[in-house]
Amino acid sequence: MERTELPAAAYERRVLVSAAQHYYLRVRLELPDGAARPGAPQLKQLVVAALRELHGEVGAALPVDVLAYEEKTLCAILRVISSGLVKLWSALTLQGFYQNRRCAFRVLQTSPFLLALAGNSRELALD
Amino acid sequence: MVRFKNRYVLCEVLSEDPRCRQCIEDRAVGLAVRDAIARAHGDYGLGCCCVSFTVKYLNAYTGTVLLRCRKDFQRLLSSALPLVRHLEGRGQRFPCALRTLHVGGTIRTCQKFLIQYNRRQLLLLLQNCTNEGEFLHIVNTVNCILESFYLMAFCALANNFPMCI
Repeated sequence: MERTELPAAAYERRVLVSAAQHYYLRVRLELPDGAARPGAPQLKQLVVAALRELHGEVGAALPVDVLAYEEKTLCAILRVISSGLVKLWSALTLQGFYQNRRCAFRVLQTSPFLLALAGNSRELALD
Repeated sequence: MVRFKNRYVLCEVLSEDPRCRQCIEDRAVGLAVRDAIARAHGDYGLGCCCVSFTVKYLNAYTGTVLLRCRKDFQRLLSSALPLVRHLEGRGQRFPCALRTLHVGGTIRTCQKFLIQYNRRQLLLLLQNCTNEGEFLHIVNTVNCILESFYLMAFCALANNFPMCI
């Protein structure tokens, strides 16, 4: 917000609300009943199926990308368009089954900046 | 004042099959619209729109349907209406389409719009008549409802109307 009374070398502060185009989520899939671990395409299919169940065809058409996926830890980084964050998160929360076995999506981090997902103070090991 | 606000969506059922008219019932139309919302917007959309969803008025002769939903979810309903493709009734399916005529906040505004719309449609029907018999039939059927002013207007049209037999 510019203050007009101050001289030229003034301090200017711009506040942008919800200006990011994409939102990034780091999620982990938990399979307590020991189902077969999904590969990256199967994970994408599971996410899209969750969206279709909760939000219909409009939700399934949401542009969601799996940017990174580790099959060993079942951790993935998802990218979604900002307006679809609530739909994606709610769909992941309510997805309870993968191949007829129980599953759960845990959202570890979320941020409008991908670089912010690199550091996680929750997993910081303090000596 | 805090109250629940509704939106009333006035639609017309378009169908090529004339037998579809007998299939237009409020339950059939309501189920068809509900299915379309469930397909388009999923469980969340179905839950949102069906809180206060009813078919308020239905006219099988003209195919006019008045649907009600909550004000906040009217866009979900309106976006799902083009996806209604079949009407099912008495074990038969007819392909049809729903065309939105008007969205209003109260039944009264929708009724006012419908009266004006029907008047314009009557004029169009009379202009598109190809047959003197049809023309007279329409004029006779609306004779009792129209006020004299409109009847005079129709007679003036009739004088300019090329009668083809």
